[in-house]
This record gives sequence, structure tokens and C-alpha cells, in this order.
Amino acid sequence: MAAVLVEGLSKRYGSTVALDDVGFEVAEGEVFALLGPNGAGKTTSVEILEGFLGRDRGRVQVLGLDPGERATLRRLRERMGVVLQELAVEPFLTVREVLARNAGYYPSPRDPDEIVAMVGLAEKAHARVKTLSGGQQRRLDLGLGIVGNPDLLFLDEPTTGFDPSARRDAWELVRDLTDGGVTVILTTHYMDEAEALADRVAVISRGRIVAQGTPDVLGGRDTAEARIRFRLPAGVDRASLPVSVEPGAGEVVDIRTDREVAVLRALTTWSEEEGVPLLGLTVERLTLEDVYLRLTGYQASDDGSVR
Amino acid sequence: MSPVRTDPPYGGVGRELRMVGRQLGYEQLSFWRNPIGAVFTVGFSVVFLVLLASSAGHSRNAAIGNLEVIQYYVPGFTAYGVMSACFNMLAISLVVRRETGLLKRLRLSPLPTSVMVAAIFLNAMVISLVQVVLLLAIGRLGYGAHLPSDPGPLVVALVVGALSFAALGVGVSTFIPNQEAAGPVISIVFFVLLFLSGLWYPLAKGSALARISAWFPMRHMITATFAPFDLRPGVSPWAWHDLGVMAIWGAAGAILAVRRFRWAPARG
Repeated sequence: MAAVLVEGLSKRYGSTVALDDVGFEVAEGEVFALLGPNGAGKTTSVEILEGFLGRDRGRVQVLGLDPGERATLRRLRERMGVVLQELAVEPFLTVREVLARNAGYYPSPRDPDEIVAMVGLAEKAHARVKTLSGGQQRRLDLGLGIVGNPDLLFLDEPTTGFDPSARRDAWELVRDLTDGGVTVILTTHYMDEAEALADRVAVISRGRIVAQGTPDVLGGRDTAEARIRFRLPAGVDRASLPVSVEPGAGEVVDIRTDREVAVLRALTTWSEEEGVPLLGLTVERLTLEDVYLRLTGYQASDDGSVR
Repeated sequence: MSPVRTDPPYGGVGRELRMVGRQLGYEQLSFWRNPIGAVFTVGFSVVFLVLLASSAGHSRNAAIGNLEVIQYYVPGFTAYGVMSACFNMLAISLVVRRETGLLKRLRLSPLPTSVMVAAIFLNAMVISLVQVVLLLAIGRLGYGAHLPSDPGPLVVALVVGALSFAALGVGVSTFIPNQEAAGPVISIVFFVLLFLSGLWYPLAKGSALARISAWFPMRHMITATFAPFDLRPGVSPWAWHDLGVMAIWGAAGAILAVRRFRWAPARG
């Protein structure tokens, strides 16, 4: 059974369409990432799933319950955890106190001391929340998200402000949770985070889902053209290369092709025969970021500025 | 997946009451650990009473029938203490909680809204009660004020006031757009109205200030609390008119609160 099911979900704020016919499904135990620019509808979608916002149209089921149904909302919230950006925690309580307090809201919580250790705040257990650094507060957020022993965890930008090692630790923690069967809905700006954690990804842009799939096939990434780049050898002009390249003035030749083997053979044969080195030769598939930027309509101009 | 339970949930009222008690405990911990909150709310009423009582407590005032002024200042600052906890502190802390996301965080937890609201109200009332006890003790032991022999009218005045001002506090909090405005705007309005309402000196009946301040609830809180301390023969300790006006203000606050309450900052 799906942990989360969304069909034909629409939401407006006044005359602004926030979500337009959004649909996706998240299996139990899956990590599902929702990617999209600010204002695309990520937060609105998640808030509807959490039962924080109402919807205009569509069917939504979360853990078998309708989050728009007030009568069962408490039951739903007992089984979900939320890690949200920019939500404060009572500044004058200690880490341990806040975790113990929130644990008491749930029917079968985890041990607060265990959570303190899991999120790496053992040394800060008796420190007041206001004395924590930004990264420590985010780890407390994570702890508050899981202290209720949830079946479904919402993670909103969970590692923003983490240093690289804290990020790895947080990812490890999320993986441990999902190994234990917890379903995760992740929103993030970091493509490496989506790639590291998500089983499936949906890209949302201007209130619509524009692509979904596993991170490695998203947006036709597996079948899309490859990108071959090398530095233009000195004294060679673009027209005399053995493959057709777009005209340009730069020092780096950048070829997009779906016949990368043939192009590479032509290039390397030419290089050998002419005795011209191909410095800095790389072949790469589209990164998740490339796909994401293309799907969300980002265009970079030649000088790198955003148009 | 377990079937959805449709029976009346969660073992009834007992568990909810325990949750209220527990939540109230954390509210109290939070409040008393915050030096600014504790000093501004509790410290002010005590310091004001001591300053005014020490300088002029035993002078007699015509506006209150030549009673010693201490007989007016003790209920006056008791009323002030209740209003500052139930209105000023409650409204400011609600705005701050809303704007910093504390309310949203609680909303997304399974803590029932009724439990949260009850704990917030009770927290303000406990802080009020601490002040009432302190101020009555200081007035009686320090300055020889006469406390009412029948506590009934005083208790009713304080409870009606606490509930009305708490409802008003929630209502007013919905008009304050951001956290930075909360302290200044609410406190200035509060202190100006208190100034008009005769907190610092008794207002003569029929004076311009008394007539203006009669439109606002602060004046009625002060006079309703003073009535049980009014030693003049034939004066009723029950200030029904004042209690009624306060209750109307409280009801208006409650309607605003229910209609306008938001759990999170307005979307930009």
C-alpha cells in the first residue's frame, strides 16, 4: 500500500494558482524527493500532506488517512514527523527538555536520550536551545522530527547550514531510519542530497509536476545526449575538427551528442594521426542538476549570467 | 496497516488533563527562565507598588473618599499584574511564537489545540496568581493595607479580568504583523490606557479622564478590583457594571481571536 497518494491536487491563493493537477505516489519505506525552485509549490504540497493547509481539489491519502479530515488528523500526526526550516524551538528550555516534552505528545515515542545521541547532541543535552549554533539547532530539529517514532517523515531542507561532515551524518541517519521502514518525503535544493538519499524524485515547477522518476533516469537522463569537452588545441580552428561542433570563440569545445562512441572514436583517431593532444578531455552524462535546471526553465547565457 | 480507529480517542478527559498539566509545566519553566519576561511582568508590578506605597501610601485621597491611598494601590497593582500577564505578556508571546514558527511546530505535532490553548491561558493565570499573592502580602505586611474579609468579590473580579484580558490578548495579537512590532505596539497601547485608567492615582468620578477611560476595559479592571478594598460604609464589593463591561470586551476579543487566528506568519 502506498504511504502517500496524491491525485489531481489543486490549490489557489486568490487568483494565484499554487498547485495545478499535481499527482504522485510514495511507497512505504521509500525516500521521495520533491525538487523545485522557490515558489514552485513544494511547500504548499507538503503542507497539504501534513494537514496544515486545506486543498481546493484532488484526492490525498497519507498513511491511509485524509489529512484534510479533522477527525483523524491527530491520529495522522501521531504517526508523522516533521523537520521544517526556520521553525524556532523554545529558547529557554534545554535540548533534553524539549525532546522529552515532545516525546510526551506521541503514543509510542523513542527515548529522548537515544535521540540526543543519534543526532550528535550528547554534549549539549543540558544546554539551553538559545545557546546552540545554527547547525546544532538543525540537528535538534531532526531529533524533534523523529522523537515520535514516525512512520512518515517530512524533511524540508534538512541539511541547510550543516558542515559537510554533519551532512554525511544526517544522511546516514536518514538511511538508518528508512532501513527501519520509515517513509521520507524530502524537499531540498541540493541535487547531491536528492541523489544520495532519494529512491525517486519529482520536479515541480510553477505548480505542476514536470518530471518524476528515479534520480538516474529523471528527465531522460540515462538516454539523453552525453557531453564531450576538451580544450581546443593550439593552432587548430573549429572547422578543421573531424566532428561537427557549434561555432564559438571559447577555448573549450563542448559537444552534445547521443552518439558519443562514434564522436570519441573520430576525435581520438584524429588526435593520434595528427599528433594533436586533446587536453582536458571529459565525457559526462547530464548531471541531475543539468536536468533539474532544464526542467525548471533556467537558462544561462554565454557569460554565465541568468537571463 | 492498522485499521483506522473510530472509537472516542485517547482514554478521555484524564489523559488530556495530564497533558495540560505537563504542557503547563514546560510553559512555566520557559517563563521563569527568561529574565526579561519575569522581570517585566512580575517585577514591574511589585516595584511600582513598593515605590508608590513608600512615597505616598498613607496619604488620603478625596477621589476615594479620603481613604489611605494604599487601599487603592494594592488592588490597582494587583489588577495591573493580572492584566500584564494575561494581556500584555500573552499577546506579545503569541505574536513571537507565531512569527518564529513555534506555533506551527506545535500545530504539526499531535498535541491537541485545546491542550495547547489551555496551557497558554493557565500559564498566564499562574503568573497572575503569583503576583496577586506577592502584592497582597506586600500591601498587608509592608503597608498595613486592609484586605477584604470576604474574598469572593475579589476572586471573581480577578478571574473575570484574567479571562477577559486573555481573550483580548489573543484577539489583539492577530493584528500585529510581525515580531519586532509586538513588544513596542502592544506595550505602548497598554501603558497609555493604564495611564488614562487611573493606575497611578485615583481618578475622581466624573472627571474627563474617568469618562474617557470608561470606554476601555483597563479602567473597569481597576475599579472592579478596588471595590472589595473600598472600606467606605455602604459601598458594595461587587462591581457588577465593571465586570459586565470587561466581559463584553473579553467576548469581543474571543470573537476576533477565533476569526482571525493564524498559526504561521502571513505569506509574503
